Amino acid sequence: MSIKIALAGNPNSGKTTLFNALTGSNQFVGNWPGVTVEKKEGRLKGNKDVVIMDLPGIYSLSPYTLEEVVARNYLITERPDAILNIVDGTNIERNLYLSTQLMELGIPVVMAVNMIDIVSKSGDKINVGKLSDKLGCEVVEISALKGQGITEAAEKAVKAAKKKQAVAAAHKFAPEVEAVITAVENKLTDVSEKQRRFFAIKLLEQDDKIAEQMKQTPDVSAEIKELEAAMDDDTESIITNERYLYISSIIKECYTKNSKEKLTTSDKIDKIVTNRWLALPIFAVVMFIVYYVSVTTVGTWATDWANDGVFGESWSLFGLEIPGIPVLAEAGLDAIGCADWLKGLLLDGIIAGVGAVLGFVPQMLVLFIFLAFLEACGYMARVAFIMDRIFRKFGLSGKSFIPMLIGSGCGVPGVMASRTIENDRDRKMTIMTTTFIPCGAKLPIIGLIAGALFGGAWWVAPSAYFVGIAAIITSGIILKKTKMFAGDPAPFVMELPAYHLPTVGNVLRSMWERGWSFIKKAGTIILLSTILVWFTSFFGWVDGSFRMLEESELDSSILAAVGNAIAWIFTPLGWGDWRSAVAAVTGLVAKENVVGTFGILYPEWAAGIEELGDNGEAIWATLAGSMTALAGYSFLIFNLLCAPCFAAMGAIKREMNNAKWFWFAIGYQCVFAYIVSLCVYQIGMLISVGTFGIGTVAAFLLVIGFVYLLFRPYKESGTLRVSGTLARAK
Amino acid sequence: MPLSLAKTGEKNVISRVGGKEETRKFLENLGFVVGGEVMVVSEAAGNIIVNVKDSRVAIGKDMANKIMVAV
Repeated sequence: MSIKIALAGNPNSGKTTLFNALTGSNQFVGNWPGVTVEKKEGRLKGNKDVVIMDLPGIYSLSPYTLEEVVARNYLITERPDAILNIVDGTNIERNLYLSTQLMELGIPVVMAVNMIDIVSKSGDKINVGKLSDKLGCEVVEISALKGQGITEAAEKAVKAAKKKQAVAAAHKFAPEVEAVITAVENKLTDVSEKQRRFFAIKLLEQDDKIAEQMKQTPDVSAEIKELEAAMDDDTESIITNERYLYISSIIKECYTKNSKEKLTTSDKIDKIVTNRWLALPIFAVVMFIVYYVSVTTVGTWATDWANDGVFGESWSLFGLEIPGIPVLAEAGLDAIGCADWLKGLLLDGIIAGVGAVLGFVPQMLVLFIFLAFLEACGYMARVAFIMDRIFRKFGLSGKSFIPMLIGSGCGVPGVMASRTIENDRDRKMTIMTTTFIPCGAKLPIIGLIAGALFGGAWWVAPSAYFVGIAAIITSGIILKKTKMFAGDPAPFVMELPAYHLPTVGNVLRSMWERGWSFIKKAGTIILLSTILVWFTSFFGWVDGSFRMLEESELDSSILAAVGNAIAWIFTPLGWGDWRSAVAAVTGLVAKENVVGTFGILYPEWAAGIEELGDNGEAIWATLAGSMTALAGYSFLIFNLLCAPCFAAMGAIKREMNNAKWFWFAIGYQCVFAYIVSLCVYQIGMLISVGTFGIGTVAAFLLVIGFVYLLFRPYKESGTLRVSGTLARAK
Repeated sequence: MPLSLAKTGEKNVISRVGGKEETRKFLENLGFVVGGEVMVVSEAAGNIIVNVKDSRVAIGKDMANKIMVAV
């Protein structure tokens, strides 16, 4: 029989560090059914019979956030054999608030007081024995970061689970409150005795979600009235107050403070980092360093190694010259006398296509290391706070900034990072706009257009980011004025973790989790799409017969037929050529494909994608011959802003958790991209060449409409003001 | 006075938490209970970072205006 132990505690209490330390690599990550809260399960190191469930970080068992609802549903319905309650020792008063609630569930609880190393360093002392007496559970001092005491904590939890006996909660509220609770408890005859206190309190708090789950709910309105009259407050606040009063009453005996009135190191850092004047400059410097290192120095070195080495000619390992994968593969295929078409598929299709994508992985991992470090050390939470001032002006919350930052590496983890935003409207808007920021895979498109059509002008790349940011800002304002998103953004309230140096293991783990979602996409969806693109471009009907094509016959391919059929859509944008249309469509599969598709479609390029970097000028000349600079820029904008790649769309679908919202998001992005590109091209043509036609009129009408949407007055929020967190917490 | 006007580094006692029910309850869970102590650690254009029950909580301007404190 396996034992289930649930790990519960506040956010930032070191829960994830403890979970990683206890389970090592025996983890399974998934989602709680029906919601987008991450579910992590693992087996205890050295005892495979023990399953550890990492509950989401919560402050309480009330139903105000999705995490709380998920965590308490698990605790009530699945009833784990024991709860390991992790408590931040540096912040014990607030953390004990959740502990008093966990104690009422009638499940054996073991408390692990974490960060004991920091507590003792500051000279404070925790009286474990007293704490245990006053709360009614065993207490262990641990340091999850240093691995101190964690085995003992796990052993105690296992022992408590085996005993199957929950110790009753030791805490007591004021006599008049207790009297009412007892009165309600006596009505709950069909609830097992040890769970009565929990259900009685939830009924008093008028928690509808709990009432729904009960077989029969006694009428407690008389008791609620009595209590509210006696204490002159609503029952929920009364209970909250009672919990904190009890904790305050015991805290002096249990926790001896040495450091009085002194500002902690974190407070001192915050005074500088979040300072009114210094906050933004410091943030700008940090971001500059992060992107400078991951895009230019270490990043370029890593990408060159991957693209030109491993997926190119050759690379060296400790002075040993190792040929690149394409070279090796070609030699191998020649040796076994492989058929030409299969060789073409493998080399030009799969290895070139997937290789181009995997080439980004090292660079992206460098960026993710930085972001993981900034998150783990506590700075990211401050960034949300600093940016909130600015983001609020156009209807987004400061918390939206983190997804966008991560999205500049890869949109998939970026969209996933929007989970931390509690407010439903803010989160949906963040999901819709995050992918406007050029991700790593869009950089090659920018590079191609800048190089081919603008002579490598320096301003093209920054302008792409500017377009992305402008798209977010204008979308924020426009969407906020629609009925769907009306209403103030949720007030900014966010706990800031204490600054600390994260462990290397945790940073690497987080980097890997994000990087892996990108690699997985390269291995699955991009692999399939490269095969499809290769097949449809090298097969077609010539003179009535279906056969494999030569490189000079690409005009007759299936892909060309499809491209020609849809090219008219893009004619108003200036690039109605079938090749560009096809490139944009394959960009939906993966943005990297845009460059790759051009590589396959322009026969002059077909010498091989891997030479694209070195052999640039010739390729650029070809592209420059078939597209004007303006059309190229319109093409660039469209590809930057339209629906992201399949993998990111998948992430949007998962996070929206609703088909209607998913299609709305994708539709909005595509229409927005189309309109912006159209306006840029048509008005650009009018200014540069003086062309005036239906397109120009349409463009001006669209600009007027756009400006109207931007500046019309805010709508009062109407009926749709359902509380987001509650609405999605079904 | 509202918490947004409290002086940095000074201890204050919470006398009332206003705002929408959902946010108020969230703040209560975070330790903002009537009678509890808060101290403003840092302030930037009305947005503040406060110390409450030994944890740091960042609060936007609109919310800070709705928390009443007394010295």
